[in-house]
Amino acid sequence: MKRALLVAATACLGLSVALAADDPKERQDLTAVIALQGQPCGEVVSYTVQGDNDFVATCKDGNRYRVHVKDGRVVVEKR
Amino acid sequence: MVSGWSAAGALMLAACATGTSPATAPSPPAEASRATSVAPAPKSAPPPVAAVPAKPAAASPGQSPRSASAAIPAKSQSPVPAKAPAQAAAAPLDLKTLEQRLKETSAIGVLTKLSLKNQVDDLIAKFRAYHAGARPPTLPELKPAFQLLLMKVLTLLQDHDPALARDIDASRDAIWNVLSDPRKLAQFS
Repeated sequence: MKRALLVAATACLGLSVALAADDPKERQDLTAVIALQGQPCGEVVSYTVQGDNDFVATCKDGNRYRVHVKDGRVVVEKR
Repeated sequence: MVSGWSAAGALMLAACATGTSPATAPSPPAEASRATSVAPAPKSAPPPVAAVPAKPAAASPGQSPRSASAAIPAKSQSPVPAKAPAQAAAAPLDLKTLEQRLKETSAIGVLTKLSLKNQVDDLIAKFRAYHAGARPPTLPELKPAFQLLLMKVLTLLQDHDPALARDIDASRDAIWNVLSDPRKLAQFS
């Protein structure tokens, strides 16, 4: 029982952390990735985590991109 | 994917061994031993040296560390004492070390590394196509793509891992020599 509660609490905590993620390093990483793909952005001001290696980044200039990994390649899709 | 990264990373940094190891290994025998483990590096080493004679005069005012690192290993590395000796202590740099160095640098995020790897792989594929006889691209057409990609790498590294950026920059010609030589390139596949 205790263990189940612990697992549930950990899962909830993990989920909330994932949704609320706002790591400056991650933002910088996303900014670099979008720039590397030659997409206009400027700077990523916020992002949400959709899943493993799957993000939606919002840029300073208002552009939004889905950044994810598919078949070992980083894909940047304009939203 | 890891092997792809190692190939790409190795290519990008193969010549780093020429840039960094001179500082690490003071004696010529070290370079000779590297010749066995990292074949392209020693062969590619001559170009930087060849290019250097022009640079030292111009380099002394401004860019002494860069050009000097390729030409005069021990003396030039002394201005950058902190990080160079730490890497130097690892003795002769092999491809595994270079790959590890690129993987472990905190200057580039994971996604950025993967994105760079993709672009390096794409460029290597173009070189392979060129060596296989496909036209275009021609070698002069590939050069700008190579330089642009190198510039991207340097841009990402220069602020947070200047030592690695400097080593890659110093190895620019050596890396190009590896890419443009089918035999040297084949050794990384």
